[in-house]
Amino acid sequence: MSILEKLSNGVNDSSKIENVSRRNFIKASGVATTGLVLGIAIPAKAMAFGNSTNEAAFNPNAFIHLQDNGDLLLYCGRCEMGQGISTALPAAVADEMEADWSRVTVQQADGDEKYGPQGTGGSASIRVMYEPMREAGAAAKLMLVAAAAKVWKVSASDCQAKNHFVYNNITGKKLSFGQLASLAANQSVPEKPQLKAKSAYNYIGKALPRHDQGQVVVGERIYGVDTKVPGLKYAAITHCPVLGGKLKSLDKADALAVKGVIDVVTVDRLEVPYGSIGGVAVVADNNWTAQQALAKLKIEWDLGDNATYDTVAYKQQLIKNVENPAELATERGDLNSAFATAAKTLKATYTGGHLSHSPMEPNASVVFVEKDKCEVWAATQSPADIQKVLGAYLKREPKDIIVHVTMAGGAFGRKFKCDYVHEAAVISEKLGLPIQLTWSREEDMRTGYYHSINAQHIEASLDDKGAVTGWLHRTAFPPIGSLFNPATVKPSKNDLYSVDNYPFGLPNFRSEIGDAKAYTRIGWYRAVYAIFYGFSFSTFADELAYKAGKDPLTFLNQLYDANNIVEQKEQVTRSKNVLEIAAKQSGWYERERLPKGQGIGLAVHYSFQSYVAMAVRVESDGDNIKVLQVDCVIDCGQVLNVDGATAQMEGAVVMGMSLALSTEITFREGAVVNSNFHNYPVMRINDMPHVNVHIVESDHKPTGLGEPGVAPFAPALSNAVFAASGKRYRDIPFKPMSV
Amino acid sequence: MDKSIIINGEQHAIDVDNDMPLLWFLRDRLEKTGTKFGCGAGLCGACTVHVDGVATRACITPVGMLAGKSITTIEGLSENGDHPLQKAWLNNNVPQCGYCQAGQIMNAAGFLATNPTPTADEIDGAMQGNICRCGTYQRIKKAIGEAAFELAKEVS
Repeated sequence: MSILEKLSNGVNDSSKIENVSRRNFIKASGVATTGLVLGIAIPAKAMAFGNSTNEAAFNPNAFIHLQDNGDLLLYCGRCEMGQGISTALPAAVADEMEADWSRVTVQQADGDEKYGPQGTGGSASIRVMYEPMREAGAAAKLMLVAAAAKVWKVSASDCQAKNHFVYNNITGKKLSFGQLASLAANQSVPEKPQLKAKSAYNYIGKALPRHDQGQVVVGERIYGVDTKVPGLKYAAITHCPVLGGKLKSLDKADALAVKGVIDVVTVDRLEVPYGSIGGVAVVADNNWTAQQALAKLKIEWDLGDNATYDTVAYKQQLIKNVENPAELATERGDLNSAFATAAKTLKATYTGGHLSHSPMEPNASVVFVEKDKCEVWAATQSPADIQKVLGAYLKREPKDIIVHVTMAGGAFGRKFKCDYVHEAAVISEKLGLPIQLTWSREEDMRTGYYHSINAQHIEASLDDKGAVTGWLHRTAFPPIGSLFNPATVKPSKNDLYSVDNYPFGLPNFRSEIGDAKAYTRIGWYRAVYAIFYGFSFSTFADELAYKAGKDPLTFLNQLYDANNIVEQKEQVTRSKNVLEIAAKQSGWYERERLPKGQGIGLAVHYSFQSYVAMAVRVESDGDNIKVLQVDCVIDCGQVLNVDGATAQMEGAVVMGMSLALSTEITFREGAVVNSNFHNYPVMRINDMPHVNVHIVESDHKPTGLGEPGVAPFAPALSNAVFAASGKRYRDIPFKPMSV
Repeated sequence: MDKSIIINGEQHAIDVDNDMPLLWFLRDRLEKTGTKFGCGAGLCGACTVHVDGVATRACITPVGMLAGKSITTIEGLSENGDHPLQKAWLNNNVPQCGYCQAGQIMNAAGFLATNPTPTADEIDGAMQGNICRCGTYQRIKKAIGEAAFELAKEVS
């Protein structure tokens, strides 16, 4: 009896159907798999992320795996680091598939181009993968429906899928997804399945708990640092404190004498992006022994050309570079005339320091290099870059590097770069052992990739009615491009894209680029350039409002209303909308009733194609700053997971507050001075304000939220402190710790 | 006599260097990885466990000092992952990356054992040593408040 006949006979007798064994199925169908495995094609436009990833050969797929018992395994190709993508995207698949979320297990996909672009950054996952993933779910549903229709010998239009079953609308009979899985595998894959109407969503737009939080609270979630494999040895590493320095001498005798030490390995600098900067590692039976022996190494470094780097002096130079004419980037209208005929003018300079990502899980991975195999377990944001870098180092094909992507204990951009994985590979190759390399907190903080130190200078002119007539923006910061091209000595015109296209109405406008050579590794940090562009634009607009004698919100709305560029109409409308909601929710319109010493500041920033406004309420005398409440309004189009979106904003406030108030990486004589959380004081629970998150109901295309919440916090805080105390902060962090 | 330590109710010989911090004994020797490495200096709280019921930073506590002591890690906080704090953590969807949460929960559990009816300020004071870079503090506060309420009901 064929499986089809069995199912036909047993539609209302599930016991018979469940007895269909896997072996019978294979015999009957000739398909050597259980259940339905579905690959989906991802459109080429899905590749548009980042300026470092330019792989040409995209042949992407994602996977749905439905077992005969109804268990549904959904692979998440994008990397999970706490942003919730491995819940949001699979939930969208389940929604279109009419699957029961409680039957879903999410599996983090290995590094493989069949899962589509996996480099996870730029808040791009939802923007890029939402539709393809929904289409995957919708196609699977249609195949299950087609299979059921065949069993019942009815038209597919007489069947409907709901909550892990397909129902026969005529007879009322039903078949479970599990029962149908194997049959569905034989159905043809629909090319462009129709997606559900918003009114029919089960999971999209609702609040869904993260799929893995049950494992987290019992300590069972496995991170990069937790990987154990047979025969594993542990490594600790120290790097040259100055970028570009070299090992001059090494005395490893004392380290090698420590009981449990296996070897000391020198890791040379690998001159490719994301390669190691060079260091010395100790390998031992356990982390502790490796760390103890590492401290006994006697190392002399030749510090090289960057040993003069001093961030205090460098920042002063950046300020000079933006307060003087610099290289023209973009020009519109006639700025000189606007300035010459101004009723009033205002200028201000804003600065910010280097930042260290400092995720709670330091860099860690396990690598085992064998003669004809290389296997990696890593907390990473970009498995393809691991394949590329290890492939280049080992002179093997990237596709031959097996990368298991683990959960990342935070990343914030740091784990896009795989220098730590490269180092583990060097050690493993030399010793022929599986190696877990874990960086200490100190190495993580001192030899990382840093958010750009920066200066922004803005000058504007006002007419006699207080309207803005001219706007000059000069910027200087060592750009990320310096990672890929060491000859880079200033930002590119592209780096100013969001300055040149800021949705204010600025008909007479000029942007200029100041020199800013990089003396350390610069890397993406959550929100990237939006941190300083958001800070300077929104703080200056507030200052300008006071100069014009206007209410800041009214003034902001006028700046948006003055924009008559058709392509920016949507940006204007949506920016104004989130701003208005933030004002209403925060009590902005009743702010004269606030107790003395309190103030509200507003800021809005459009970045990564999402809109976020914040209203920050503080109590401040100018020096002491207590953040009381933050109202955060987001318009990210159709939101996928309300709870996840809310969490991202709460987190963005915390990260925004750390960088606005206290965190800064300081270099002296070429090396980072900070070393651990005592002198890189990230925000702690006692400073947590009350955060309200308001999500705009929107039918726009969904966009990401990992980063956009960070930018508006610091300017809203600066504006709030000014409102409360009359003191203006133009340099972040406002309260740097002297180290 | 060999020195031993009780971890989540099981006895283990201390067969490593006395100076090895408990964190690495747990993670590398016993391969219990629920307790996390964050800073190695007692600054972030990710490694928090209980030593005879008291919240302790495992990264700076030499295992040799703990002979005869009873240690509880996140894996042993409750039989079925149903400690009121664990339940409150789930009710409030606290974790983002989740890496610091074992330490947060263990620290909170040690704190509630000494102060079952904390004020919001007391929660702040007790939890200041535990860093979360994802920024889940608002939910942590709420979850601890809820768990305290549940614990109070259990007691009464």
